[in-house]
Amino acid sequence: MGISRDSRHKRRLTGGRMPIHKKKRAFEKGRQAAMTKLVSGEKRVRRIRVRGGNFKFRALRLSEGNFSWGSQGIAKKAKIVEVVYHPSNNELVRTKTLTRGVIVQVDATPFRQWYAKKYNVELGSKKKDKKEGQPEATKKSRSLIKKLEQRAKDNAIDALVQEQFTNQRLLVRITSRPGQSGRADGYILEGKELEFYIKKVEQKKK
Amino acid sequence: MHKIRVQRVKEVEYQRIKNQYLLIKKNILWQTFKNQRAFQKQEGIFQNSKKLLAKKTSKGVRYWKEVGLGFKVPKDAIEGNYIDKKCPFTGNVSVRGAILKGIVISTKMTRTIIIRRDYLHYVAKYNRYEKRHRNVPVHISPAFGPVKEGDIVVCGQCRPLSKTVRFNVLKVIPNEIIGNVRKQFVLF
Repeated sequence: MGISRDSRHKRRLTGGRMPIHKKKRAFEKGRQAAMTKLVSGEKRVRRIRVRGGNFKFRALRLSEGNFSWGSQGIAKKAKIVEVVYHPSNNELVRTKTLTRGVIVQVDATPFRQWYAKKYNVELGSKKKDKKEGQPEATKKSRSLIKKLEQRAKDNAIDALVQEQFTNQRLLVRITSRPGQSGRADGYILEGKELEFYIKKVEQKKK
Repeated sequence: MHKIRVQRVKEVEYQRIKNQYLLIKKNILWQTFKNQRAFQKQEGIFQNSKKLLAKKTSKGVRYWKEVGLGFKVPKDAIEGNYIDKKCPFTGNVSVRGAILKGIVISTKMTRTIIIRRDYLHYVAKYNRYEKRHRNVPVHISPAFGPVKEGDIVVCGQCRPLSKTVRFNVLKVIPNEIIGNVRKQFVLF
């Protein structure tokens, strides 16, 4: 309905106008942007037939996504809690819009549970709980205990990431395109990238 | 007498060091981008593997590639810190197709320059040639350091990088031009 992606309306490199001698063609048409919103508990995805008979999944409302923890090599489905930063437009943060490249806060429980199962260490637990002692609800076989001891050697994680576990929120960057694939997937920020975005979020709060 | 000589030598030394410092500073400015809103990194390179995170002050992994056709990869591409997705050595562009040579006439844009290519056009009626030229906008990687007008540049064709840029600088040959660069006719 009017959005076209042609280059005939643009000027030349020299600045001269290009004569318009054709009408807009169907293969040049564009569609309205998805503006996927973060709405807790809701998932609204529309299927759109595109050129060639293929389908795009336009997510209109999302609340969950599959997020990968790169250094550990795993991915877990988790709830998206809040939109925190967008490098292109602050408006998108205010309206809680999910796009590719947006930084969101994600519920940390699936990752905490996975880590506890693998390394037998509770991330984000405060010192008070530690004094009470770990609840040994399940019996562990000898081979499992041996495995855990082996794994304990390299159970170190990024300090900044560990801090985030105490708030039950992890910073995540969305890498899928919700308006094209219908999903909001991403990766947990670590290392220098995490420092960079934490600084940006702090700046914004001021 | 001896004291004056020593002082003059010191001055020359001072100027040399100052020029070096200014060149390095210009180089750094040339390589760093202004305050970015998104974290700059090379796509596809994972910087946060457990080994790298454990190192704490590591330089990180850097991706670079050869462009082929005998062009040398500049040292700055391998050792530098800049992130340029349109750089032929450290970015996601492949050089294929035509290789052009031109003379730089403008370096005012960020990471892209305009080169001038001169040629002769034959007019059959008069059995003679006329001078013609074309200006080509070319993307230049921060690996090459500050380029000045008059330098000769070899560039390779790649996929469209912007509305008008389809070429990428592969080699810079420093050159001095007397007079206005835009009025020179240099055939390659």
